[in-house]
Amino acid sequence: MASSTNKTVTLPAGADPPLVTGNLGFHDITQLVSYHTEKRPPSAWYMAIAVSSTLLCVLLIMIAYLVWNGIGVWGNNNPVGWGWPIVNFVFWVGIGHAGTLISAILFLFRQRWRTAINRSAEAMTLFAVICALLFPTIHVGRIWVIYWTLPIPNQMEMWPQFKSPLLWDVFAVSVYFIVSLVFWYVGLVPDLATLRDRARNALRRRVTGFFALGWTGANRHWRNYEKTYLLLAALATPLVLSVHSVVSFDFAVSIIPGWHTTIFPPYFVAGAIFSGFAMVMTLMILARKIYGIQNIITMDHLEKMAIIILLTGSMVGFAYITEFFIAWYSQVEYEQYAFLNRATGPYAWAYWTMMSCNLLFPQFFWIKRLRRSIPFLFITSIIVNIGMWFERFVITVISLHRDFLPSSWDYFNPTIVDVLTFAGSFGLFMTLFLIFLRYLPMVAIAEVKMVLPESDPHYYHKHDSEGEEH
Amino acid sequence: MISLPIVDGNPSDSGVKVWRSLPHLEQDPQLIETASEEFFPGASDAPSGSNRRQFMQLLGASMAMAGLAACRRPVEHIMPFADRPEETIPGIPLQYATAMNFRGTARPLVVKSYDGRPVKVEGNGQHPNASGASGVFEQASLLQLYDPDRSKSTLRTGTPANWEDFLSLCQRLQTGIRRVAVLAAPDNSPTRARLRTQLENQFPGALWVDYRSEGDDAESMGLQMAYGQALQAAYDFENADVIVSLDADFLGPHAKNGGLDTYSFARGRKLNGAQDRMSRLYVAESTYTVTGIMADHRRRMRSDAVSQLASQLATALGVYTGATPDSFASAIARDLQRTNGNCIVVAGESQPAEVHALCALMNYALGVVGTTVTLLDTGTPVQVAQSQSLPALVEEMRAGRVDVLLMLGVNPVYDAPHALDFQGALERVSDTIHVGLHVDETARESTWHIPSAHYLESWGDGRSQDGTLTAVQPLIAPLYEEARSEIEILALLGSGQFQRGYDLVRETWMPVLPGEDFETDWRRVLHDGYLEGTSYPSVAPVPSFGGQLQGPGTGLELVLRLDPTVLDGSFANNAWCQELPDPVTKIVWDNVLVVSPKTAEDLELSCEYSKGRYYSDVVTLAANDQVIELPVWILPGHADDTVSVTLGYGRNISTTRSERDTPFWDKDDETDVYARGTLATGVGTNVSLLRDLLARPVISGVELTKTGRKWTIVTTQDHGILDTEARPIVRMATLDEYREDPAFALQGEVPTPGSDVKTDFQDYPELWKDSHPSKASAFRDSDYWQNQWGMVIDLNSCTGCNACIIACQAENNIQVVGKKEVGNGRELHWLRVDRYFVTEGGEELDADPKIAVQPMPCQHCENAPCESVCPVAATVHSPDGTNQMIYNRCIGTRYCANNCPYKVRRYNFYNWSKTIPGTVQMAQNPNVSIRFRGVMEKCSFCIQRIRGAQKRAGLEKRALQRDEVSSACQQACPAEAITFGDLNDDQSQVSQAMSNARSYKLLAELNIKPRVSYLARVHNPNNALGSAG
Repeated sequence: MASSTNKTVTLPAGADPPLVTGNLGFHDITQLVSYHTEKRPPSAWYMAIAVSSTLLCVLLIMIAYLVWNGIGVWGNNNPVGWGWPIVNFVFWVGIGHAGTLISAILFLFRQRWRTAINRSAEAMTLFAVICALLFPTIHVGRIWVIYWTLPIPNQMEMWPQFKSPLLWDVFAVSVYFIVSLVFWYVGLVPDLATLRDRARNALRRRVTGFFALGWTGANRHWRNYEKTYLLLAALATPLVLSVHSVVSFDFAVSIIPGWHTTIFPPYFVAGAIFSGFAMVMTLMILARKIYGIQNIITMDHLEKMAIIILLTGSMVGFAYITEFFIAWYSQVEYEQYAFLNRATGPYAWAYWTMMSCNLLFPQFFWIKRLRRSIPFLFITSIIVNIGMWFERFVITVISLHRDFLPSSWDYFNPTIVDVLTFAGSFGLFMTLFLIFLRYLPMVAIAEVKMVLPESDPHYYHKHDSEGEEH
Repeated sequence: MISLPIVDGNPSDSGVKVWRSLPHLEQDPQLIETASEEFFPGASDAPSGSNRRQFMQLLGASMAMAGLAACRRPVEHIMPFADRPEETIPGIPLQYATAMNFRGTARPLVVKSYDGRPVKVEGNGQHPNASGASGVFEQASLLQLYDPDRSKSTLRTGTPANWEDFLSLCQRLQTGIRRVAVLAAPDNSPTRARLRTQLENQFPGALWVDYRSEGDDAESMGLQMAYGQALQAAYDFENADVIVSLDADFLGPHAKNGGLDTYSFARGRKLNGAQDRMSRLYVAESTYTVTGIMADHRRRMRSDAVSQLASQLATALGVYTGATPDSFASAIARDLQRTNGNCIVVAGESQPAEVHALCALMNYALGVVGTTVTLLDTGTPVQVAQSQSLPALVEEMRAGRVDVLLMLGVNPVYDAPHALDFQGALERVSDTIHVGLHVDETARESTWHIPSAHYLESWGDGRSQDGTLTAVQPLIAPLYEEARSEIEILALLGSGQFQRGYDLVRETWMPVLPGEDFETDWRRVLHDGYLEGTSYPSVAPVPSFGGQLQGPGTGLELVLRLDPTVLDGSFANNAWCQELPDPVTKIVWDNVLVVSPKTAEDLELSCEYSKGRYYSDVVTLAANDQVIELPVWILPGHADDTVSVTLGYGRNISTTRSERDTPFWDKDDETDVYARGTLATGVGTNVSLLRDLLARPVISGVELTKTGRKWTIVTTQDHGILDTEARPIVRMATLDEYREDPAFALQGEVPTPGSDVKTDFQDYPELWKDSHPSKASAFRDSDYWQNQWGMVIDLNSCTGCNACIIACQAENNIQVVGKKEVGNGRELHWLRVDRYFVTEGGEELDADPKIAVQPMPCQHCENAPCESVCPVAATVHSPDGTNQMIYNRCIGTRYCANNCPYKVRRYNFYNWSKTIPGTVQMAQNPNVSIRFRGVMEKCSFCIQRIRGAQKRAGLEKRALQRDEVSSACQQACPAEAITFGDLNDDQSQVSQAMSNARSYKLLAELNIKPRVSYLARVHNPNNALGSAG
């Protein structure tokens, strides 16, 4: 296999560019990916984990402070019952969308370029969903009885209230988390076996061996694996659409102007994919640089993600404009005012931040040069996520602060605890992600090998005949 | 280890000395040190472990500590009622009739007591001179009783003293010639009058001054000026067709007779049928008041220009020769004359006596004395104005001609005009005795302070507005052993003997009840709370007016008024009152300088709204050589070139309570309003200092300078103009429009898009119509199903006086959150009174807006949006149609509050109930749960009252009677604006009110089917004046 590195592959004109560049062979990929879990991590990793675990500690302190004192430590008030925590929840759930989309939907659509990014995208999904689950958990006033939202049989014969969208959320997000976790783990099994086989010490061998479930790479294993993976992909696909639809029901099912909108499910799903891809892009640009895997996560992958960002960003922008149109078209004062207030009220700055970040910036991706420019991609991916955070802020806070009766109108001011809790959630996310980078293969080794030209069963046949011609 | 000194065998005092050596004899320090033990310390200890003695010490200590652990609580003696007190059933409240002295008049009350603990104050509806309603101050007086900062012990020059010492002082004072003076808050108690005579007999030449913090009682002085005798006027607003208020806020919660006047005023404006009559109210005033809110024509003008209007009006009516009437005055005059003796002209407290006298003259000329205005002869001799008597007293004091000054329930060091220098004069009096509820400004400057008993702790009596004798009986023994009632101290000073208040009052009543059996009659009086047929006789003398009206002053005018929430400062340490929004500005925890938009522009003052709070310019205000600082507040509808401010702030009350100090991670010390000393201290500015020697409430030519600093002002409601067309929240029409279409309120319904057709929201298609929870058998089969509770609020009656808010707060244990948290939008009032400025025809906000008020409790929607979104079913519908909040089940997602279109749900952001002081805990209603942090709460339609009435009916084996249940807000409302009851009963008041043509439901287009209906407001403008009025 080592000789394959020297082989030059020429492609027929007009074919897709190769998914893995640099003429990497099977072993090179194994080596390139596994190596990072085996050697000492780069110093950048240490610096990053120091920062992120500090932020994680801040998060824990903020949660302790919150539970000790009460929800009052945040900025929430009477008209604005939901402030930053719910904004953050929707933000993180949205980010957690890209992983399963990449894994499941792109898998079903046979988008082979997904293999380079799906592992880390899925990991990112899991960690984002953990962050997301954190916020609704801590935002209830009496966290010690939050299990009442679960349908646990009890002697009071008291069930949760199944009409409440918050309860649907509980189910939707937890199911999504479990399925994503299983999906991610199943995909990891062959790679864990690879790590096990390469392990130099007994502990590593035992741990990876335990999680590799006795994988030997036998044909029978592969057949079962492929079937399971396909089934799980099929199972996860509707979840991609359902989770954010259900999250959007939190708003859409209510009667508050600005929330009570039937466009929300598709608009939220598009927004989620939009922000999720932006987050994957941010992380991948850093990881491929630091770990030197530019040949596996290539510029073409980034460009494809940029195109998806452009597509979903335009969808989201279209939804913003549709909302405005419908508010005007409805002739309902409350609806009209809710949207006018977004654009011109005391939070207009938030609204226009959202509009420019989400609608304007991704439009630059029409230009090929820009969507292949690493600095521009990096900046835009961050801007998109800022914009998407503000989108949730606009929906949650601006709609609530002025609704039907002007007498109840008020203003929402976040506190330092709000800010630090949100910052702390990035600490949680990054800490988990860095641990993942350190101990697990960040690229699906087995899957990337499958997209190498050599994995084509007819590859050697074709190339041998080509060779004969020479 | 504990080492005990060896007993020194050195007898020091006996003279004989036994000594061992010379150093011992000479007390050599080194020797003493070493000789304290025969061997060096530890030398006699066991080689390891403890020796016997240490072992015994340890054993003893551990026994003692084990014992201590079992007695963490002090021993209390809980005695069973071996002999149950008559009629006392634990948990069943008892009601007692009593009365509260409010600004010199007794307000008859019925107080509810649970297990010996008064918890709720209501009006005494059986009293001939009371409506059964109650106002802000009656309700809030309950918390005065439980004020944790109440004075608890006798003080002598600020340090705790013996009651016996004070007793002996009083006895000592009986001998020799003492020059005694009394400064007392006005009170028409017969017992006090008797004791006053006793005192004056004991100390010939004793001075007695009735002291009002707001200054002269201009109305009495005016009547006296016109009639030459001390009279009191009672107004029948119910039967008046035209009412003219000359700067009179007679409907205000702080008005002397506010409750009854509101009651009769509202009765004169009830519209049940299209042809019902309705009175017309003209108001000329400088600031916006509750009365101004109710006006059909409101003219804003400087307070000192009102006398000009009075003069014009009197001229137009032909009783005075003054200024030529303008179109406004002549239109009013014509309107008054048209009524044929069914009209009233009243002047306000800030007007001089001359204007009141002129009003008396006008009323007489209009022939209304005896019909709508009754003059009562109180039998008191001709009064000297306080502006004369107080400076005279202070002069005597300063000259050293007063030996003893007794101050009963007054606080002149705080609120006497600075020009008087009362404090300086006080120092010249050798014995100054202050009797009050708090260790306040005056208490600290007095040689003696006696804690006063609250009216719920003491015996007393008084007379209601019409003179009916009214009893004051205690519901509880004084919370503090040393508290004494004012009459007890007065009697003590007058006789040198301490007599119990009970005996004093009985002694007064002996001649009043001359019947055979005094005890029975007396018990009857205590039971009823009053003695029938003892009202003042009405008289009809002929008035005359020879006075001269003063013209308007020059320069900027300042008007001082009593505060509608803290009165003159006596309610300033009351958390309910401090957090009660001002009826017009909606400001809490502050007093402000109110200016009109134009004056603000002229003086370049601003009050910026930013992020939920207002940042106001702080200005200095200079008058009569005094300078104070105040933040400004810009109020549309306020008159130009005049500024107003309320009294009662800037208090400084001492307390013995320690401040709450919690570690940095615990916010209890920040969220507890009681954490930092007394509530009143440091809130607002004392403005009474600015007044001149005569304490006139209107000061001309004040100087106002900007300091450049800003002050944060917190309101419960933002400024905001209501576009009644676009948002038909408060629906209004004129009387003519109402007569044309009594159901005009439904015109305001939002039409279906694309058509002009109004939708009957009852006919809206409903999802799961047949499986709606209300159709479920669990509901239908319930016994509760037979009553369906609902409420109607008449916006034509509601004045926005706030009585309902405090009543709700007292009934439902609603906690106070403090200025900062109100600023954060976290106030807990279950019932709020919304205030909207209303302009017509695209006028500027500044011009002259009307104000509409709307009480906003939970609307108990039948399709409640809050219920369907709660993930744990913590808010559900009851079979009797109320929306219930189950605190125990609530996990606090706040989703219900978000989805409430009325935003009436309140959330416990902090553990506010945790830090309630012990005495305030006693004020809590035992029938209502105290809410923990993290749960939602809201109006329950006083479910505890409903269930209480049902329980009572069940015990008596009868059905619930019609209108047996009343909600706390309904019971308190002096205007009878709130009707509550059973909608299943066609004849119930609420069903009748709901079928009123003016009835509409707020936000009905959302198909949430609210159970609360509003009756639209009707204005009755004089067409001769046009709508602008």
